Amino acid sequence: MKRTFVIFFVLFFGKSCLQAQIINKVPLSERITGYKIDVKLDTDAKTVGGKMEAYWVNKSNDTVPDIQMHLYMNAFRSSRTTYYKEMRGSPGEDDLDLGWIEIESFKDGNGFDLLPGMEYISPDDGNEEDKTVIRVLLNKPARPGDTVRVKIGFETKLPSRIRRTGYSGDYYFVAQWFPKFGVYEPAGMRYAIAGGWNCHQFHATSEFYSNHSVYDVTVTLPANYITGSGGMLISETADGSMKTQVFRAEDIVDFAWTAWPGYAVLTDRWNNVNITLLMPEERIKQAERQFTAVKNALEYLGENVGPYPWPHLTFVDPPSIGAGATGMEYTTLFTSESSYFMPSFYYRPEMVTVHELGHAYFMGILASNEAEEPWLDEGVNSFWEVRIMDHFYGNNSGRINHPLLKISDAAATRLPYMMSPSRQAVSSNEYSWKYPHGTSGIMSYFKPATWLNTLMGIVGEETMNEIFREYYRKWAFKHPSGKDFVNVVNEVVKLEHGEKFGPDMNWFFDQTLYGTGICDYKVHGIGNHRYHKPQGKVESGDTSEIAGFNSDSLYFAVAELERIGEIMLPVDVLIHFTNGEEVLEKWDGKARYKDFEYTGNREIEWVKIDPEFKITMDVNYINNSMTLSPQKAPLHRLVNKITAFIEFYLSIMLL
Amino acid sequence: MKVFISLQTGFLRSLRSWKGVLMVWLILFILVSVFMYPFRSSLGSAFGTSMITEKLAGEFDIAVFTDLGSTMKSLLSFFTAGFLIVYLTGFIINAFLTGGLFNSLRKDSGNFSYQEFFRAGSKNFLSFLVISFIVTLIIYFLFGIILLVPISIISFSETISEKGSYIIVICALAFFLMILPILFLVADYARAGKAANENDSCFRALGFGFRQTFGELKSSYILMLFLIMAQIALGVIILLILPAWRPVKGGGVFLLLIISQLMFYFRLLLKTWRYASVTSLMENSSLVSKENF
Repeated sequence: MKRTFVIFFVLFFGKSCLQAQIINKVPLSERITGYKIDVKLDTDAKTVGGKMEAYWVNKSNDTVPDIQMHLYMNAFRSSRTTYYKEMRGSPGEDDLDLGWIEIESFKDGNGFDLLPGMEYISPDDGNEEDKTVIRVLLNKPARPGDTVRVKIGFETKLPSRIRRTGYSGDYYFVAQWFPKFGVYEPAGMRYAIAGGWNCHQFHATSEFYSNHSVYDVTVTLPANYITGSGGMLISETADGSMKTQVFRAEDIVDFAWTAWPGYAVLTDRWNNVNITLLMPEERIKQAERQFTAVKNALEYLGENVGPYPWPHLTFVDPPSIGAGATGMEYTTLFTSESSYFMPSFYYRPEMVTVHELGHAYFMGILASNEAEEPWLDEGVNSFWEVRIMDHFYGNNSGRINHPLLKISDAAATRLPYMMSPSRQAVSSNEYSWKYPHGTSGIMSYFKPATWLNTLMGIVGEETMNEIFREYYRKWAFKHPSGKDFVNVVNEVVKLEHGEKFGPDMNWFFDQTLYGTGICDYKVHGIGNHRYHKPQGKVESGDTSEIAGFNSDSLYFAVAELERIGEIMLPVDVLIHFTNGEEVLEKWDGKARYKDFEYTGNREIEWVKIDPEFKITMDVNYINNSMTLSPQKAPLHRLVNKITAFIEFYLSIMLL
Repeated sequence: MKVFISLQTGFLRSLRSWKGVLMVWLILFILVSVFMYPFRSSLGSAFGTSMITEKLAGEFDIAVFTDLGSTMKSLLSFFTAGFLIVYLTGFIINAFLTGGLFNSLRKDSGNFSYQEFFRAGSKNFLSFLVISFIVTLIIYFLFGIILLVPISIISFSETISEKGSYIIVICALAFFLMILPILFLVADYARAGKAANENDSCFRALGFGFRQTFGELKSSYILMLFLIMAQIALGVIILLILPAWRPVKGGGVFLLLIISQLMFYFRLLLKTWRYASVTSLMENSSLVSKENF
């Protein structure tokens, strides 16, 4: 009886532990996958090994014969992996340099050995040397509603020279370290035509896609190590020189952790969120900057997108030896970037912190597929990073705020798109690992952030906020796709503006998101033609159009505009006359050229297309305006200063 | 006391040579203008009749320039190449001009004359060029040894703390800056010695520069330190005034040009004060008579 009770107790609590709520009262996401991991960090062998119990619930109407899992750490196994082939690099020759994950045992919930039915697959490129995805044939196919339980013994070797994950000296950042389920997408989910696993290999320029999960993670490691993770610390026990910590995380898409003896642990609080910051002792003077940045982001995103739903948040400012771990996100754990000496005018740490925290929303809560549609997380998140930075740190100084040089985050984000010679090479129809000619950065971050800014310029800031609030309401803790975002935009814009922009906004997305064109409007010329009385054999006599005007000073004035780029967007045109009058015209921006003509006792002095710089996609602001009396003074001033500085430089450098 | 007298004498001699300084200013201004004028024209034509330059009326707006696209890349190439040419040309011209200046700063040089200035410049040109080249080379070499080597080692180290790295870099920089006045003294003594004995070889002058510097290191170093401080003080004033001054009208911009050039003239005057003070210290030195300088 006693034995039966113990078995019942273990089974009941062991099973329910993965599903019961500890952090939030109610689940935020559908319970599809969960993990219970128990590992030990071996600081000599640089391995993390142990066992894992995990489940996947078949929420589809399909009968599924197999499961697919990511073994991301195998990306660092050799120079032949897809990751290194795409990187054109090598993990190193020394065994300690390599990273890998070995599956030592693989059983289902009933103890059936699944290892014989396990095979490595390469769904993206067929690379047989890539072992970052496994398919495991189940003993019995999973019927709709079935829960597949697996017990896996594994050992993960961390790579040296941290590339997001790995070790450097006694510093550890442990990410992408355990076997992780892919996402089973039934027909109709996102772009799936038929049901199947979405489980991409580990690529050099793409990220991740997972279900929201519950994590119970037990880590045993040397007692002198200070740790941080995406979970809440539930318990800690010491055993001689070792200690064991138990973490719990709910509704997050990935679980990562870090360990280093040199961390200082600082805490703060924003509303009901406990914030923990891990940073080198030597950088403690920067803690206030970091906490302020986090609180700014939480406040802004909470107000304009949706609430931050977890009561905890940990972020890490890795030491210089762990620089490879900087600027990465794991929802409730993220890494910032700084250094011992960081000038107060340079907001790089704040920018990285704001950006990575933003990922708690864009792919953390709104768990899009980062491998297939990176713009939905990186691009959207960059858009919000720009807004937050320029809002809190100055409209023209969100990146650098020095008396000699100010750079806004908006300008710094638009710049790479503007300057890229391959900005028209590819559209967002391609998967991220197929972006050619080094366009990964602009396609994932800068172009989408720029066209989102342009969209805001067209529909207005409040409508844009409402779009994201609705996006959050509809898709939080689900897997939205690009088309889902577009649908939300269409709905909200129609609700807020009716048919002002047409029946939907697809015309915008077809050109910017799914198109490769550029946007460039130009003022071609200004014409002020004095009226001349008809001469020669004129039959109709004097023109009626000049009635009411003094014909001695009458002008036919014309502003000549052109659309050079392929993208057609509605633009404002501001026309200023010599008598001080101004006219704001609306141009749908579709025609290749457009002339605005005026007859009267006034000449056009200057013309500005998009005077408020709303269309940030316009790749050349310089040709957006024209004046008959250009202001050369600012340029001459600049040149005079450069002249003086070169002279001073010469006098210093020459003995 | 010796230092104070040298400073005082040097100051008076540099004022006496104001015409020479004016000549140095004029030639450097022409040199830089020859480079900057076409740059200004290119910049002007790149912006054409656009009103985007309004965005430069306040602070420097980087977006104004990035929108120039490929034109910006051409301008940057032009600027980089031009700057290098100006530096190299300036290096050569400076050897000529300092030849004239050091000659006019001597005790027995009498009233300033342009003929004498250019004559001495041409006579001393090659020696001054070699002296400047060798000392500059030593400065770059020491910069590499003292600063770049420790930085490289630190960047590959996994054990050294960030604070430790920072302290090492700061110490290395401080050490380099401490050595710098010594090298200035070597260059100045060598050139002053050469100006006093035009027939001697540049290498002999350089040897004299080293001996004189280390023979009277204390007084020489204090003197040089004071003069460098004075130059830094002027530099700080200039840095406070020039970047913050943003005239938007043509008249204001012209005034900016005048004031900035006036400041540069003062900067050259201070540098001449350095030359003159070192020359004066050399002339009062007990070592000089022994070496027949």
